[in-house]
Amino acid sequence: MAYAGEVVDELQRAREAAEERRLVTSAADGSAAAFEQLYRRHSARIHALCLRMTGNVATAEDCTQEAFVQAWRNLPRFETRSAFGTWLHRIAVNAVLQQARRRGESLGAGDSIEREVADVLADHATVDPGRSRDLEAAIAGLPPGARHVLVLVGVYGHSHEEASQLLGIAVGTCKAQLHRARALLSARLGETERNHDAG
Amino acid sequence: MTQDERTAQDAAARLDARLGELPLEVAPGRDLWLDIAARIEERAQPVASTTRRASWPWQAAAAVVLVAGSSLLTASLLDRNVLVQQSAVPAVRANAHAASDAAVVMPAAFGPAGQLDLEYVAARRQLTQMLDQRIAALPTSARAKLEFNLGEMRRAADEINAALAEQPGDPLLEELLLKTYQDELAMLSNISQLTSSLANAPANMPVSPNGERMQL
Repeated sequence: MAYAGEVVDELQRAREAAEERRLVTSAADGSAAAFEQLYRRHSARIHALCLRMTGNVATAEDCTQEAFVQAWRNLPRFETRSAFGTWLHRIAVNAVLQQARRRGESLGAGDSIEREVADVLADHATVDPGRSRDLEAAIAGLPPGARHVLVLVGVYGHSHEEASQLLGIAVGTCKAQLHRARALLSARLGETERNHDAG
Repeated sequence: MTQDERTAQDAAARLDARLGELPLEVAPGRDLWLDIAARIEERAQPVASTTRRASWPWQAAAAVVLVAGSSLLTASLLDRNVLVQQSAVPAVRANAHAASDAAVVMPAAFGPAGQLDLEYVAARRQLTQMLDQRIAALPTSARAKLEFNLGEMRRAADEINAALAEQPGDPLLEELLLKTYQDELAMLSNISQLTSSLANAPANMPVSPNGERMQL
């Protein structure tokens, strides 16, 4: 039975991949309707990435929007060597980095902003929303460089090589930033838990 | 492994486990599609290039400054002997020259990730066609140098465009692409000015000690 289930899952994935290729081709030919379907499929993932990388709800929406606009403009030249989702992910990271440069990396500062981001993200948590909220707030409060690396490597599972390429930094810097991010997170989470215990 | 190291490793593993439990998908608080749809009308229904130009003012300004400014690029490509020989090239039609100048000084906007302004593309095509005719009249050595340099620039632009297709929005690649187009445009502009000056110059025009026979 397990085998049959796997086959069904595999077929389902193949069907979805074929459908996505069809949508990508139509959108590349100028179909806004097809592109809207691609947006519906990918916007939640791209938005979550932007939300965590920017640590700011309004900016995350701007970056999400910008990523899809950039994708639309570049679709005619998109080659299906990589998956559309992976390509879009890369565009979103670039959108976040450009936004950060324009604003001088000042985003994400301030406890109220961190809490706002944490609340939005924790609402979607499937495991212990309270603890997720603390963790998301701690991530949003990280310095931008450490936050970007932690999100890409720690949350989205990129390798250091991939993350360093996406962020335009050296692999060594990427590793150092992850180490720093973990230390800061552990310290902050420890502090939060002590506060909870005391309360 | 010491006790402290083991404790730190356990803490890191616990943190990684918590990070792994975070949701990877979070829908935006509002539907962003309407805003996106408003911005993507351009490709579905191509409109006047002024729309796109407005979003790339710095690029247009850079192109105008560069094109309007003089450069000694071509002087480095064509040596004195070539210039002297070139004085024998038949005069180019005055109206063709005027057309090329108009095309060259027209603000040229470079769209995102290598999407060029339609006016720029048309002007570039017109200028290129005209210059091809002029270049064909040049001596072989000068023509080879020009064609080699133009070919290199266009190959570079193609490679950057291919890289941009993989990484749209990459600021470094966009800057490189813009620079390459600017270099190409500057070279085309200078060739245009050079060849027309030479064609119109009197055969006994004085040559400077550096071999510069024309004023760019």
